[in-house]
Amino acid sequence: MITFNKRNLLLGALAFAVTPFLSGTWALPAAADDSSVHTVLNGLIGKYSDAARTGMSNDDVSDLFGRDGFRDYLDAYPVGDLAGGFIWEPGMGATFTGPYSKLEIKAPFTDYLPMPEGPVLDPSKTYRIGFVFHGFNHPWLISLADTAAWEAARHPNIEFEVIDAEFDDNKMGQVIDTWIAQQYDGIVLWPAREAPMGPPVDRAIAAGIPVVSLDRRTSSEKISSEVLGNFYANGLQQGLFLKQISDGGKIILNRKDLGSTADSIRTGGFLEAIGNEGGYEVAGNYHTKSQRTLAFKATADALQGIDDVSVSFNTGGEEAIGALDAIREAGRLNSAPGGGKIVILANDDSKEVLKEIADGNIDMVAPYTPLIGDIGIRAVIQHIGAKEGLNEAPPKLIMTPNLPMITKEAMDIEGVKTVTPDQWLYAYGPKAE
Amino acid sequence: MSAETDLAAQASTTSRSILRLLKDPLIWLIVMAFIVGIITSPYFLTPLNLANTIRNSAAIGLLSLGMTMVLLTGRIDLSVAATMVFSVIVGVAITTQIGAVLDERWIVRGNSFVGPPVLAIVITLLTGIGVGILNGIGVAYLKVASFIMTLVMLTALRGLSYIFTNGAPFYLKGATFDWIGDTVYLGMPTGFLIFLAALTVMLLLLKGTVAGSRFYAIGGNEIAAMYAGIKTARYVVAAFAISGGCAALAGIVLTARLKSVEAPLGGGYELTAIAIAVIGGVSLAGGIGSPWRTFLATVLFALGLNLFGLWGVSTSYQNLIIGLVLIVAVGISSIQQRMKQE
Repeated sequence: MITFNKRNLLLGALAFAVTPFLSGTWALPAAADDSSVHTVLNGLIGKYSDAARTGMSNDDVSDLFGRDGFRDYLDAYPVGDLAGGFIWEPGMGATFTGPYSKLEIKAPFTDYLPMPEGPVLDPSKTYRIGFVFHGFNHPWLISLADTAAWEAARHPNIEFEVIDAEFDDNKMGQVIDTWIAQQYDGIVLWPAREAPMGPPVDRAIAAGIPVVSLDRRTSSEKISSEVLGNFYANGLQQGLFLKQISDGGKIILNRKDLGSTADSIRTGGFLEAIGNEGGYEVAGNYHTKSQRTLAFKATADALQGIDDVSVSFNTGGEEAIGALDAIREAGRLNSAPGGGKIVILANDDSKEVLKEIADGNIDMVAPYTPLIGDIGIRAVIQHIGAKEGLNEAPPKLIMTPNLPMITKEAMDIEGVKTVTPDQWLYAYGPKAE
Repeated sequence: MSAETDLAAQASTTSRSILRLLKDPLIWLIVMAFIVGIITSPYFLTPLNLANTIRNSAAIGLLSLGMTMVLLTGRIDLSVAATMVFSVIVGVAITTQIGAVLDERWIVRGNSFVGPPVLAIVITLLTGIGVGILNGIGVAYLKVASFIMTLVMLTALRGLSYIFTNGAPFYLKGATFDWIGDTVYLGMPTGFLIFLAALTVMLLLLKGTVAGSRFYAIGGNEIAAMYAGIKTARYVVAAFAISGGCAALAGIVLTARLKSVEAPLGGGYELTAIAIAVIGGVSLAGGIGSPWRTFLATVLFALGLNLFGLWGVSTSYQNLIIGLVLIVAVGISSIQQRMKQE
């Protein structure tokens, strides 16, 4: 009997990634350029993962790593080459105005699984694609929808419908069921949670409709493709940066929901990077659920109880801003032992976070771009084409390129060349004043 | 009385009932929704779409039925959606513990529940009823305002749901959950049939028993009901218990469809349940309303959402329209109440 659980699903996805290569159903990608940031970071992930597997000399970090079961998640999280031998370089991608946010966007991956502007597949036919996600009230998610809608609009024979399920999994399932009844040609979704989205995706696949998930995963093993982000490189780079600029200190962790991919892979990757450094101590460990207010409160409470905080680790940009606000309000920005600055580590490259980096308040951010909706649309179009015998299907697992961390001054950290805020063209969200 | 006279009387009652039914604006709204659906979408009348529509009405309809019971007594139950999720989580968690005592492993590979579903369902129902009884005791005997009591219960149950699951989902495996969630008989999904069964029981209770009429009496004038010798507190507890039971049933229907349960599911559904009950004509002040009209309102609500979905109306506009409809319904309810008082 097939059973659905987190470990099986993650391992299943890994199998999806490997199977097409073994079976030859997808052309083997050309070997990636060894100097590309994607390859360099994958090499570092391998190096630190192997070291952590051998053992962690830091007992405090090791205890947390073992207690929250990071090994299981990290082992199953796919790390690999990009589809079709794509090599991403800074500067690539198209610039346009987001249809929903009305903000100028430079999307990094518009050349990934490329598709020329104009009618797609059979030009005499109109193809209906549904895009369901949650969160027209969240800058990251609006940017995701922006890129999906932009790609769809480039193809005149695509009829595109966008629905916000407002963080109601049941509603997202109902939207998918309606599209199945309407015999849509393809569905792209951003699932907030894995478990409840498996059955509707399976029903769509059973009805012959290709489905592509973006960023997060569903519990479906039959899903056509998953466009996955670079969580592992995010957490690892946070650890590498910290190691580079400090020898140790007390760390407060502001994490996402326990068990979420973003939390388990980013925090796990971070702990792997510092697990063999003796000086670090996890002094606070909070799940602030991607919310700025909760991160503010958790950090403020931690600062009350701990005099010598050195590091604030945040699994997201919202949490990092919340932590920064709490640290500033407490007048503790420069209260690390020896009068040093509290190091603030972030993910998610919003314009607000980048401004704080330029101002020297946040120390680094590992970009996790929402500008990947376009990849999902191109992938689902290719799946529709494959169904009609017009082209090959894209791979089941579509990794997005690892992106280099952003720091105030350019640095070279173990071969990763960091970029400065003014060099980073892909920040999302409203401009921060 | 002769057999002919009996038959004539029966026929007259039936025709009166049909006439009364046809006078109900909800029936006409449902007919209108059907006509609009048929005209505007070629997919509306497909068996798959119709099955989806009525299936989607089942869980929220069950919550609304429970809410109707509580509203009839002049109270409100804000904890229904939290109870819906919590009951299933407790059902799975306790069954798993029973399995452990029996040396059976009913949670496999981390978080897939493979234990006996009937036992889990029974515990789920008992949990829902238990939560309802606690609400009822707080409201009826400890004199806590129902708004406060159930709001506190909502918060507590959401928190407990996270604690019991550690933030992770339980996957629900097995033929029973598949049967509840996916099967269709003569175009009717099993979840909807469960909803119809609950509706029938509630109609029999409220319209066919003395006890049922007392719920109306309490909502209409509680002090008068008390002076008439009705033990009002017991009926209030019973109303909350029924609401909790309906919520648990809704939880079973909803999670069987999703094949999983996790703490954040169904957030905000309590407000939809209130909205449907009010659209169905249940008075927020108590004493007026009928499960039958709540059923009609549920079907109308599901049809409306389905049409919005087929037309591709964005969620923001859907919410706006639902809000406007609710304002009109509450306005009508308030006018009815004033007329009743006059």
